[in-house]
Amino acid sequence: MSRRRLFRLPWRTPRQIRSDVDEELSFHVDMRIDALIALGKSPDEARAQTVREFGDLEDARRYMGAVDNDIEAAQRRSELMIDLKQDLVYALRKLRAAPGFTITAIVTLALGIGANTAIFSVVNNVLLKPLPFPAADHLVRIQFTQRGQGDAGTPPDLADYRALARSFEGFSTIEGATSNLVRPGADAERVPGVRVSANFFALLRIQPLHGRFFREGEDAVGAATVVVLSEQLWRRSFGAEPKVVGTTVRINAGTFTIIGIAPAARRYPLTSELWTPRAFTPADLSDQTRGARWLSMLGRVKDGVAVDRAGEEITRISEQLEQRFPEVFRMRRARAVPIQDFTVGDLRKPLYVILAAVGFVLLIACANVANLLLVRASTREGELAIRTALGAGRARLIRQLMTESMVLAVLGAAAGVLLARLGMHAILQLAPPNLRLVTTATIDATALAVTACVALVTGIVFGVLPATQVSRGEVVVALRSGGRGARGRHTATRTKRAIVVAEVALAVTLLTGAGLMLRSFGRLTAVDPGFRPEGVLSTKMLLPGRAYDSPKLRTFAAALEQRLANLPSVQSAALADYIPFDNGSYGFTYQIVGRPPIRPSDLPNTETRSITPRYFETMGIPMVDGRGIEPSDVATSEPVAVVSRSLVRATFSSESPIGKLINIQWGNDSLPRRIVGVVDDVRSFSLGDPPDPIAYVPMTQVPTTAVSIVVRTAGAPSVLANPVRQIVRELDRDLPVYGVLTMEQRIADSVGRQRFYATLIGIFAAVALALAAIGLYGVIAYAVTQRKHELGVRVALGATSTRISRMVVTEGVALTAAGVVLGLGGALATSGIIANLLYGVTARDPLTFGGVALVLGAVAALASYLPARRAARVDPLEAMRGD
Amino acid sequence: MDLLQGTLDVLVLRTLSWGPMHGYAVSRSIRQRTDGVLEIEDAPLYKSLHRLERAGCIEAEWGISENNRRARYYTLTAAGRRQFKSEENAWRRYAEAVFKVLEPA
Repeated sequence: MSRRRLFRLPWRTPRQIRSDVDEELSFHVDMRIDALIALGKSPDEARAQTVREFGDLEDARRYMGAVDNDIEAAQRRSELMIDLKQDLVYALRKLRAAPGFTITAIVTLALGIGANTAIFSVVNNVLLKPLPFPAADHLVRIQFTQRGQGDAGTPPDLADYRALARSFEGFSTIEGATSNLVRPGADAERVPGVRVSANFFALLRIQPLHGRFFREGEDAVGAATVVVLSEQLWRRSFGAEPKVVGTTVRINAGTFTIIGIAPAARRYPLTSELWTPRAFTPADLSDQTRGARWLSMLGRVKDGVAVDRAGEEITRISEQLEQRFPEVFRMRRARAVPIQDFTVGDLRKPLYVILAAVGFVLLIACANVANLLLVRASTREGELAIRTALGAGRARLIRQLMTESMVLAVLGAAAGVLLARLGMHAILQLAPPNLRLVTTATIDATALAVTACVALVTGIVFGVLPATQVSRGEVVVALRSGGRGARGRHTATRTKRAIVVAEVALAVTLLTGAGLMLRSFGRLTAVDPGFRPEGVLSTKMLLPGRAYDSPKLRTFAAALEQRLANLPSVQSAALADYIPFDNGSYGFTYQIVGRPPIRPSDLPNTETRSITPRYFETMGIPMVDGRGIEPSDVATSEPVAVVSRSLVRATFSSESPIGKLINIQWGNDSLPRRIVGVVDDVRSFSLGDPPDPIAYVPMTQVPTTAVSIVVRTAGAPSVLANPVRQIVRELDRDLPVYGVLTMEQRIADSVGRQRFYATLIGIFAAVALALAAIGLYGVIAYAVTQRKHELGVRVALGATSTRISRMVVTEGVALTAAGVVLGLGGALATSGIIANLLYGVTARDPLTFGGVALVLGAVAALASYLPARRAARVDPLEAMRGD
Repeated sequence: MDLLQGTLDVLVLRTLSWGPMHGYAVSRSIRQRTDGVLEIEDAPLYKSLHRLERAGCIEAEWGISENNRRARYYTLTAAGRRQFKSEENAWRRYAEAVFKVLEPA
């Protein structure tokens, strides 16, 4: 360090540097001229010679100025670094000297920052990162609606869009086809997969890990059966052996050649384990199939074409098709949805709401630490005054205090990242499956960078207020009052109170949101599903169609039901093609025989279930009218159906449905069936949606390849899992049993997403409440300490201890009341955002709002009661002597 | 005779190794010691001084000259002294090598 720096001389401005250079040069010139004159030269000669000897003066002047500017800047930098190092060392020393304060601040910040890091990581993974395909934003799913209701595509649609859409590179069908996979010498395995067109992988633009993907024409009828396996399946079940490419496996009783392995990180759909080509027969593609909607489509927009434009084209084509087929396509529209939205679209809003919630938590944490710093700063007035007296400027003091804040923020962020890593695992445990799929419990570079920014901003937010407030102090006053500083007390107190009011308000807003979500979740889970789920175990199987033609299916079903019923502890057992709270089951249009004909696109819809006689008894679905399915309903007897109440409501106004004929249009079996009974409604997919109409038919009359087992027991249903598996294995070794779950689990899973949101927001609201309570306590407790003298005087003048504590509590409650009012206002203004995430509660539910106010009031009373008790015990003599 | 590139810095360092002096004094001293054989202009000399200051080889400070005027005095730093030693050695080896070639065999 130069001497100049040692004494902290002021910096030279560029102008001063210029004048210094000029002075140095003119000194030289004057000296030289004088010397030459002394040697006997005339002044003119002397000047001329000096100039000659000097050379390019202007160049030298410029150069010297530039170099000096460099020197100055370098010195400035090095001095800043030295200051920073000093500040850091000093800050660390100061923080270590007050471990209570430091730990409180770091833990508070870690909670705030950690929650943000964890949730941001999830949001980043799920919503911000594109799916891992080249130009993934140009991949779309085609979504159909008819009369505003969700609809699907048909094989002719695929052909139409391929022919008509010019902004697309191509379209592929994508059809869920969970399959039974059998490898030589191993148990059958149930594997999620899809059936796709041959161009599927070309549209995704991905390369196989081994082997190849489908070739053109491999999705033609009669082409060799080939399959692509996922890397995961290949590693798990095929020992990651590249030579399996070219070998065969059995899938649903067919033999398939493995042609390639799809890389793990680039699967679509995200759960798929195997891909097989989907062939369409001419019959599939005929116009007659336009009524049966089940097909899904993936498309890739051509490079250079805007996705919005391509979407408009899709909608235009759907309008053209409506005109061509008005009977079936009336008011049917198609639109293109980017695959990212298609996959995670329903997660977007809840995740942003949760991100906002953790933002609130962070703000509250900042407020708390700011208050801690203010309290601490007022105890440091003496120290700061001395430093000012010794020559530290205000900027220098602010820099010092900000360094302390930054150190706290960085330490808090470091602890927060650790916390976030732990938290991520817990969060993903709770997460609904589609969220778990697209995210991993890792905090990547982006999340870390964001955390660093958050920490920086946090440090500024909570540090700047205390720093500017403290440095405003007047040295003399502070010094004279022996470091206890009389000045600015009021401003500081007012600031602290404002901060507390703000954090209470934030906590109230967040708590209200959480309250609404929790109440909504409570309402949702209280909904009666329409059957008695307790004591019922369910499992699923898919019988390979090729191995089980209808008579065989009937025998199988009969044998299975018989053996299940013979299990000890089983009260009743039944089979059904689909069961409630499971994916599956289709809607079919139906007509009541003898009614005037209805236009095809206006026909009512019903779900259907193929069941065995004891299904209603096993599931606990009450009969309302007529009879159920009986053992006497066999393949050869009259076709019958039992319908649900909502089907009756939709189709029969007052007349009894019993004895009427219903014609369910499921293609090959479109014969009229006699309605013999009515059962109560059952919710099929979610507790939140109203029950759909269902028509139940005997499995003996309508055999299906999808078979679910339901068994009811008096005890814990899960103990039946192994016996049921054993029975199925005895009947058919190649048949994997999957989805072994109690009905209660199925219902719980169906509200998993809501539970996830409610739990997360609930946790963050609890943290916010705790932080706000701590903040409130801190301010009141500090105020009591500061007012010890005054309180002492009051006690000496006869104030009772009740009166003193009431005074203190009143102050706390008043602050809280202000915060609650502001917070409820904030909640009223913002709760509309989550309105469509709520079930059975309005976004302005008075009970929730009132409850939150009460909780806050109670917490505030407690937070101020503790300091109040201390205030009431003030010994007047000691309090006044201590001054 | 023209000055080889970088030579001036060595001469300045050598000159300042006798003690702090201002730019004019450095100029006069070099001029005297080379007996006018080297045509050294003052402009490059001053540029050299400031360059050496930036490099940390010398430090500058305002002082009062022998005729009572404000003058900028330069002092060799420890780093400057090291720099001079190494450059001086390099110069001597260089000059010896050149002489060896020039000596009649």
